[in-house]
Amino acid sequence: MTHLSAPGKRPGAAVGPAGEERPGATATGGHRWFPAGRGELVERLFAVQSLFALLLVFVLAVVVSPRRDGEIIFLSTENLGNVVRAVSEIGIIAVGMTFVVLLGGIDLSVGAILGLSAVGTATLMVDSGFGIVAAVTVVLLIGALFGALQGYATARLGIQSFIVTLAGLQVARGLARIWSGGLGIPIAYGDGPQEAPAAFEILNGSINGVVPVPAVLFVGIGVAAIVVLRKTAFARHVYAIGGNEKAARLSGVPVLRVKVAVFAIAGLLAAVAGVIHAGQLNQGSPNDGAGYELDAIAAVVIGGTSLAGGTGSMGGTLAGALLLGILNNILALNNIDANVQLLIKGLVIVAAAGLQKLRRSIV
Amino acid sequence: MRTRPVLLALLCTGALVSSVACSVEKPSDGDAAAPNCGAGRDFLIGMSQANNAEPYRQVMNNDVQTAAAGVPGFTVVVADAAQDNSKQVADVENFLTQRVDLLIISPNEAKPLTAVVQKAYDRGVPVIVLDRKVEGEAYTAFIGGDNVAIGRAAGEFYAGTLLPDGGKVIEISGLPGSTPAAERAQGFREGIAGNPEIEIVASQPGDWLRDKGQSVADALLKTHPDAAAVYAHNDPMAEGAYLAAKAAGLHTTVKFTGIDALPVPSGGIKAVEQGRLAATFQYATGGREAVDLARRILVDCSTDVPRTTTLGTMQITSENAAETYARLGGVS
Amino acid sequence: MSDQVTVAMSGITKRFGGVRALRGVHLTLRAGEVHALLGENGAGKSTLINILAGVVTDYDGEIVLGGEPVRFAGPAAAQAAGIATIHQELDLVPALSVAENLTLGREPRTRLRTLDRRAMARTARDWLAPLGVEIDPGRPVGSLRVGEQQLVEIAKALSLDARVLIMDEPTAALADAEVRRLMSTIRALRGRGVAVVYISHRLEEIEHIADRATVLRNGEVAGTLRPGPADRQRIITLMVGRPAQALFSAGSAGPPRPAGPEVLEVEDLAVRPRSARPGRCEPAGVSLTVRAGEIVGLAGLMGAGRTELLEALYGAGPPGRRSGRLLLAGRPYAPRGPRCALRAGVGFVPEDRRRAALVLEHAVGRSIVLAALRRFTTAGVVRSGRERDAVHQQITALAIKTSSAGAPVGSLSGGNQQKVVFARHLLTRPRLLLLDEPTRGVDVGAKAEIYRLLRRLADDGMAILLASSELPELTGVCDRILVLRHGRVVAQLPAGRCTGEEILTAAMGGAAAGGDER
Repeated sequence: MTHLSAPGKRPGAAVGPAGEERPGATATGGHRWFPAGRGELVERLFAVQSLFALLLVFVLAVVVSPRRDGEIIFLSTENLGNVVRAVSEIGIIAVGMTFVVLLGGIDLSVGAILGLSAVGTATLMVDSGFGIVAAVTVVLLIGALFGALQGYATARLGIQSFIVTLAGLQVARGLARIWSGGLGIPIAYGDGPQEAPAAFEILNGSINGVVPVPAVLFVGIGVAAIVVLRKTAFARHVYAIGGNEKAARLSGVPVLRVKVAVFAIAGLLAAVAGVIHAGQLNQGSPNDGAGYELDAIAAVVIGGTSLAGGTGSMGGTLAGALLLGILNNILALNNIDANVQLLIKGLVIVAAAGLQKLRRSIV
Repeated sequence: MRTRPVLLALLCTGALVSSVACSVEKPSDGDAAAPNCGAGRDFLIGMSQANNAEPYRQVMNNDVQTAAAGVPGFTVVVADAAQDNSKQVADVENFLTQRVDLLIISPNEAKPLTAVVQKAYDRGVPVIVLDRKVEGEAYTAFIGGDNVAIGRAAGEFYAGTLLPDGGKVIEISGLPGSTPAAERAQGFREGIAGNPEIEIVASQPGDWLRDKGQSVADALLKTHPDAAAVYAHNDPMAEGAYLAAKAAGLHTTVKFTGIDALPVPSGGIKAVEQGRLAATFQYATGGREAVDLARRILVDCSTDVPRTTTLGTMQITSENAAETYARLGGVS
Repeated sequence: MSDQVTVAMSGITKRFGGVRALRGVHLTLRAGEVHALLGENGAGKSTLINILAGVVTDYDGEIVLGGEPVRFAGPAAAQAAGIATIHQELDLVPALSVAENLTLGREPRTRLRTLDRRAMARTARDWLAPLGVEIDPGRPVGSLRVGEQQLVEIAKALSLDARVLIMDEPTAALADAEVRRLMSTIRALRGRGVAVVYISHRLEEIEHIADRATVLRNGEVAGTLRPGPADRQRIITLMVGRPAQALFSAGSAGPPRPAGPEVLEVEDLAVRPRSARPGRCEPAGVSLTVRAGEIVGLAGLMGAGRTELLEALYGAGPPGRRSGRLLLAGRPYAPRGPRCALRAGVGFVPEDRRRAALVLEHAVGRSIVLAALRRFTTAGVVRSGRERDAVHQQITALAIKTSSAGAPVGSLSGGNQQKVVFARHLLTRPRLLLLDEPTRGVDVGAKAEIYRLLRRLADDGMAILLASSELPELTGVCDRILVLRHGRVVAQLPAGRCTGEEILTAAMGGAAAGGDER
């Protein structure tokens, strides 16, 4: 869409700061440590806003945590393990969502893809007798393909990603319901004909009895994503398209290819989350994952990525997801009414978005 | 500068994960085998509810809390899973973290909640399962109605009283993964076996919810406008079906029955009294019984409580609706 | 021009963080006066204007409007007080019609409180009439040409009873005939007692229309004078603070250089788009050649098809059928998209850098390497060392003034932003560089640097095709000038020996001056 007025009609003042990590080299090649002025200092603060917020919430959690026999419940191994385990699925989905949002789009279908992949995992292993590797591979391929199709529809046919993925959400749910016959597919473990390989149970377990396996996967995927976003040419293309698609195209960025790839990544990661989900609940149900996309978007927004695209960081998303997880936990531990919990989470999201706006106007 | 935010992020994540690994383990799980009980003490009871949005469960929560208020030292905390299995698992985990003395749970679906209930049970936390079952045997006690018997009673009502000459029946069932849905369906079919003229032409899940029941009934009534009656697995769905029929102008020709019979103004008994439902069948919540069992376990230190408590049922039609409502303590 | 003072700004001082944008600036505007505001970018013109228009509210100093001291709380307050601004990027809503834009916010209503469209159209016509404009009020603004849009904006400003009209680079996007019309409009405004603040880099226009001129340099007033043709040197000296250099130093003054082999050969290029878009004039049979070492200029009126031709050569035009022959360095050249063009060695600096080239929040370094990423990438990973070196080299070579390679592009002045776009394409080492209005919104100093750069590139063997509306630019920098009209080349003139009038005549099809061509 063309709009005649340009953003930032104050050419004398510095326009909004960059939200992504950028080379710290000056024109002369050296590093500048001390901020050049109030503006840059504020900018540096904002770049780590999500981390500060995470730290703040962590401290808050410790302070308001209920105590039992002198022990801070929040900090107990068991509880922290629960927190990271609960965060893992949404976190993995949020990683994929970050790519999409950086591109300037949105993906509403990830929750449904999670359900589809949970159903697929359960069905393939239990009803069709697939091994773990085969079942997981097929399911991941389905997720990636589904995402790629959505990306193609957005890029080639020019339909807004909101609409394409909204449709994709319905399609994925429908496919999940058809595939599962509308029921949850329970996963029993063993060597029998209608049973899944026992090794799959590892997803419900923990390493050393302490660190939950899904958390390890989440951290691994998160770190890999951070590296990709900072180091690869692909990431530059994503940021460029999100910042100004026309400019990106004129600069030779392969827009169609990148868009398809980004949505495929989102679909793939949603499928990964679905596999984990099935492992956690020992069941693949077509209704699983409903509403997860909104939690993922919340994590992305709290992490400081703008929904308009072009600026943001993966570290922020990870921090945002953890923040939401800790928030959920302290609210539950303190037995806050479930409805009040929703209210508080909504307020946090608004506050994060408000900080974004503040950041642009302070400099 | 550029690397610092990322470094900080990694540091924090690492800190979180390693604090999980390194934090002090509370060496309490050992003594949980010996029950934590006795008179004159305070007890924390965690109640994990499947879906507070259902009226039946609101009454269940109320019953539990009212009964608990009568036991000195009992504190009940209710967690709502809003039909989300993952959330309910997390709710139970949180209860365990808070070291509840007893767990009452009404699971959303059987399979996904089995593992975490077993975890609680293995830790020595007494578990009372209400209304819906989990798989396996890892729980202290189950309290619930006999859904098969209720279904059968409904079926016999259809066979003998409601549709003695037969007719087409539409079934609106509960959430597919929950045990009551399967059982009420099974019982009903047993009950109508005595009258071969009765035919179930369609069966769709309404997920125990009124609005879902309405939309499902909408569609089914359009497909089968000659249906004689709607057998809904609970009262809200029956009411929803009634509304759907009203919109189609069929509410006088089609009959509706539900299950629950809650003695509340929006409940099934009133609906029968006011003529919307032809009948409903009582499905007690078991809340009071659960608290009673809890008292026996926690205060009296009783170690042999009945494994299964089956609550009775009764049939409510227009003849006994008003007086049953009053008898059960319903508020007008 | 009366002696009545409309606005007196005195002692205006403004700091942005550590940077002092203005210091002790005095500016007086009289009723019915056209007051030009000059200065290189970064001199403080925009800040001063923003203070007057209420966009910047935190400053030291005093503004006296109509005898009363005022301090605006925001742009709305300034507008209510009669100060209207016409920005370079116009403030109209493209999807709404002319009438809707003009009455935005104060739409006439019927008794039923619905929009009274007939009254809106009538009002629109009434307001446009004094400007001598015949525009259908029902047309969507987005379909109008820039010059017409500007007139709509002026009409809107006047309807708000503006006492002061600030115009920021009003002729930057206009063709000559439209410029003439704008000038007469401004004269009419003067007659009505409106004080006009005219910001421009075009000295000939300022001499033509301005009553007084204030020159800003480094945030202070360097001088105020009555501009006449003889004062041009003085103005430039005041602006840059050093004796003016010839703007086009190594231009046509040098001996004609031998041109190299043909880089671009175009024969009868025509584009038939799949769906016709309003306001575009696709090439309809263009033939031209550009040799290595040549700077070829593309002249023409607005809407003659210069941008469309450049886009077609870059593969960036609308989907459709392309006929005719294209050869690049002797080989058939059929770019399916910008990627193909880049790979073949063609670069394109588009007309509107904000809309089509830059992301203001992104860092300078990242913007520079975007098109040439392939050269710095191994196995998908960007080599930051190589990238840093290349960026550093470009920043130095083009003298891009930025606090660091990590500074956001939006913090650079217009001229430096344009250099960033240049750097981006130069990194791809093109053999043919296509430029569309390369010095639009660029101050005098940066302009000179860009011209020097172009000459240097040509000397090194690059072929350059440059579309421009500034006649002095065409005659000063180019070796040859092609005049476009209705998507065809209608004249070819040697730059050294032709005048602006000749170019304009050819562009208008040899007809007498006046009237818009389509």
